[in-house]
Amino acid sequence: MQITITINHLLKVFEVLAWILFLGLSVEVGALICNTVITLFFNTNGVQHFWDEPKYMAQLITTNDYHFVVIASNMIIVGVLKSIMFYLIIKLLSGKQFNMEQPFNNILKNFIQNTAILCLGIGIFASYGSNYAISISKQGYPTPDIQALHIGGADVWIFMSIILFLIKLIVHKGIELQNENSLTI
Amino acid sequence: MPIIVNLDVMMAKRKISLNELSEKVGLTLSNLSILKTGKAKAIRFSTLETICKVLNCQPADILEYVE
Repeated sequence: MQITITINHLLKVFEVLAWILFLGLSVEVGALICNTVITLFFNTNGVQHFWDEPKYMAQLITTNDYHFVVIASNMIIVGVLKSIMFYLIIKLLSGKQFNMEQPFNNILKNFIQNTAILCLGIGIFASYGSNYAISISKQGYPTPDIQALHIGGADVWIFMSIILFLIKLIVHKGIELQNENSLTI
Repeated sequence: MPIIVNLDVMMAKRKISLNELSEKVGLTLSNLSILKTGKAKAIRFSTLETICKVLNCQPADILEYVE
């Protein structure tokens, strides 16, 4: 028996993966927001419940609130932007808006444009967060593991954003060609 | 667009219906309708050739340039 994998099967797999990643990221961001709010306003011991680098975060909150807020808010913003990105992927795949017969449409163009903007946002905030962590480490604070704080790889996100903007331009041209082709008798 | 498609005029002259032309030319009704209403962006030489053959006319009888 021969098993054939069609594009629809692959899209289904991508949809399932996007759901898993979206749920994981949403839970992580929710936990980060809860931990940050509890640590700042209710109980500073809440910092021990941070999943990522709790010792580093504890050192920040005990010495300087402002540094803690900057690092935590950068982590939250990056997490939220990543969640929105996967939500857009789920929306595109589950809405049956992706048609392989005529792949170039405005929905795909808008999706790529929004993803590119989100990638740029993640890149900017990740870059700011990691540079801030490095700059305060020069003032005597410990050097954190940027990857563990989920604000690493800023350059990769910015590179991806540029590539996506280029793909968006290609898709825009593709829409024009496809429309012209469908009106050629 | 300054190019006007006079397909309906030629069809009336030859007393041929859209359905009949569609069958003889081998184009779908929707495509012929796009061509007839002037919504088409381009026409293939092969399509033009078949239409001219079926309607026994010249391309200039179907297409007209107006300023």
